Amino acid sequence: MTWVTWRQHRLEGLWALLLATLLGGLTAYVAYQISLASASCAAPRGQAYCLPGDAWGQIAQGLLQFNLSQYGLVVLPALAGAFIGAPLVAREIENGTQHLAWTQGVTRLRWLLAELFLVIVPVVVAAAVVGYLEVIFLNVQGSAVNRWDVFDQQTPVVPAATLLALALGVAFGALIGRSVPAMAATLVTFVVLRVGIAELARANYVAPLRFKTTELSQVGSPRGNPTAWWLGNPDFYDSAGHLFRNGPGGGAQPSYAIQYFQPGARFWAFQTIESAILAGLALLVLGFAVYWVTKRVT
Amino acid sequence: MNAPVEATAVGKRFGQTWALRDCSMRVPAGKIAGLVGPNGAGKTTLLHLAAGLLTPSAGEIRVFGRSPMADLPLLLDRVGFVAQDTPLYSRFSVADMLHFARNMNRRWDRVAAEERIRRVGIPFEKRIGQLSGGQRSQVALALALGKHPELLLLDEPVARLDPLARREFMQRLTEAVAEEGSTVLLSSHVMGDLERVCDYLLIIAGGRVQVAGEIDTLLGSHHLLVGPRLKGEVRLNGAQVVKAEHTERQSSLWIRGAVPALGPGWREEKLPLEELVITYLSAPDAGTLPRPELQQAAS
Repeated sequence: MTWVTWRQHRLEGLWALLLATLLGGLTAYVAYQISLASASCAAPRGQAYCLPGDAWGQIAQGLLQFNLSQYGLVVLPALAGAFIGAPLVAREIENGTQHLAWTQGVTRLRWLLAELFLVIVPVVVAAAVVGYLEVIFLNVQGSAVNRWDVFDQQTPVVPAATLLALALGVAFGALIGRSVPAMAATLVTFVVLRVGIAELARANYVAPLRFKTTELSQVGSPRGNPTAWWLGNPDFYDSAGHLFRNGPGGGAQPSYAIQYFQPGARFWAFQTIESAILAGLALLVLGFAVYWVTKRVT
Repeated sequence: MNAPVEATAVGKRFGQTWALRDCSMRVPAGKIAGLVGPNGAGKTTLLHLAAGLLTPSAGEIRVFGRSPMADLPLLLDRVGFVAQDTPLYSRFSVADMLHFARNMNRRWDRVAAEERIRRVGIPFEKRIGQLSGGQRSQVALALALGKHPELLLLDEPVARLDPLARREFMQRLTEAVAEEGSTVLLSSHVMGDLERVCDYLLIIAGGRVQVAGEIDTLLGSHHLLVGPRLKGEVRLNGAQVVKAEHTERQSSLWIRGAVPALGPGWREEKLPLEELVITYLSAPDAGTLPRPELQQAAS
């Protein structure tokens, strides 16, 4: 079975390896260049990265401007789901080869589990490695960057999201039985789920903390707490405690402001919670795919 | 001994449509059985039920006395299946396909499979996608035979082949079956494919088995009588009229049973197998006739 899976998926595997290596390599390269310069200078937050002045540093500077790893780590899991997950079963059904595969000496269930295991594990491991290189990249930058801004690009969330995308792909492929519609369904569902979780659920994994200040000049900027995730806009109150208006500006003078936030110390707990949600969903979807393939596909 | 394939009132429904209904049949061991019927008659469904690819909606199907769904792991090694249009991985080379079958089967005779491919002159390094239809089906046959199946199920294996490739395929199949002694159930909607190789025939139409029996017996028990135009009801001693056709001057009777004493002007003509099949397929009521061969085989 190992050989069969390899022979069937080696092209996708090669592409995945190529893209993961490219992305991981570039991330590692830029991280390395930043680490070279970090001893000699410390760029304050919001300013240009501190990089060596030589040509190598210039290349890193150029790469940074494209935000490759930021985009890549969000887009590639979705692509893995569409291009590796969706055709896994759908292509067999499209070509009628499931009737060949399922009448050899191996049951459908064993065939599917072998394919799933041998395809999913390497891709998820690759995603974990690239996501971890991003973590190193952020570590090297130290306080110059807020981790919450790139929440979706770090391990363990990246491999968990990749697992979900692959699971959705396999399930839609089995359900629809045609690769291209399954790819479209995978992409749409994956994007909706990820955006939905990020926008609606993430801020509430743990009740946010309250920040109250009378120094209104601080409001609307990182206010000396650069590792926090500030939620929404601050609420301004007058001296009597009435909600004044939402956001700064206007004529009358507010006396204090309240804003909610998640402290930086919670970052890894949040990563773990979101990864668990994504991976849990992925396992449910995979369970459905196994049921559908073994019981319903003809 | 359990029959290689035995169906009892088996039915399969897809949504609201019955693809196969109340189908009872039995393939005797060691025979090459032809499953013939028009497109959409339920041939593929019946083969898929026997191969364990489908679960029956009604009735029961048994392969070597076992349920193809519940006992599939026990049957997979014993049953070879070639699906319609002989699906193979088109990006694989012939050698890859052989490697595939070796990986996917516990029971696998590599030497025999490679020898079969070599004998029909297909280069191992060629991609499946580059093979002709005839070569493709030869590869599919070699793969199915590689596990020395006791039962070989073939779904319209020659439907898309030209006459020469058909003949070649059927020839290889007959040779292989003679070597292996396997039972074969082979479907086709073209009678000519089956006539040369099959010794047992199942005629299926509208999801039901119309006739089942040894081809020689079928031919021996059916006759075509041609004579002057008959008027009124036809009555024959001990024989049944399967179908009657009348032109202005002549009547043709397809009968089953002993040939009665013929009146003046009447003659018996040999009924070709294809004609027999068409007769049954075009006379839907014929299916309600008793099926002596089936009962005999089942006892």
